[in-house]
Amino acid sequence: MEEALGAIEKLGVVQALKTSFIAYPVVNALHILAIGALVTTVILMDLKLLGLFDEMPEPHFVRLLRRIALGAFVVASATGLALFSVRASEYAAMPLFWAKMGLIGLAALNFIAFITIRNGPRRVFALVSITLWPLALLAGRFLGFVL
Amino acid sequence: MRLRTLLLSIALATMAPALPALAHHGWTWAVDEVSELTGTVKAVYVGNPHATLDLDVDGVVWHVELAPPGPTMATGFTEQTVKPGDQVTAIGNRSKDPNETRMKAVRISAGGKNYDIYPARVPQD
Repeated sequence: MEEALGAIEKLGVVQALKTSFIAYPVVNALHILAIGALVTTVILMDLKLLGLFDEMPEPHFVRLLRRIALGAFVVASATGLALFSVRASEYAAMPLFWAKMGLIGLAALNFIAFITIRNGPRRVFALVSITLWPLALLAGRFLGFVL
Repeated sequence: MRLRTLLLSIALATMAPALPALAHHGWTWAVDEVSELTGTVKAVYVGNPHATLDLDVDGVVWHVELAPPGPTMATGFTEQTVKPGDQVTAIGNRSKDPNETRMKAVRISAGGKNYDIYPARVPQD
């Protein structure tokens, strides 16, 4: 594990990102942009399931927002991996980092359960989602202040 | 209608704690006085988001924070400047929390040279 993390840190592209004046803030900004899009669209879809915006037809509403959320999740994951790789062993040693990964994992499982279980408790899935995603965001934000 | 207001309030309230985060950026977490630490290097990192130096001071590891890599390297301090085992002195502001062995450095002295990370904050004598 430690060797693998050390090997990630030594990759050429990671070394370049590590001391770059421009690339790192750009990747960081993309990470924030993607998280903003992801959490915003997730909250809107959860609120829809909880009964808000009932003037809008759900299929259209969800189709648009889910596309944005999934795309944002891909961008957030890719940029997050890049930011992680710069100090891979330090992040991997932090309980807060794993708490964040756990929250994202649970939120992802909740989404998978929501789309696979027909006639499931939709409001429960929405409440779990609207709790977990902002908590993951909060854990991520605190990470930036403890390393 | 009341349910909507409640749900929106919950959504906003979950975001609010992000605002007064206990910042390790800037200086708010550190005391105003400048003090000195001398120890042996355990680890050195010069990179984003900011450079760090772990110093063993009489068996206690201090986590010394420098500037982002650009300003840090502009002083001449790179990851090759010191290596584990080297004797180094850090001048800077310690954490307000006495149980936290963390310092925001303004100057690093190593190998007979001074690296002024935040020159304006180095005490003049």
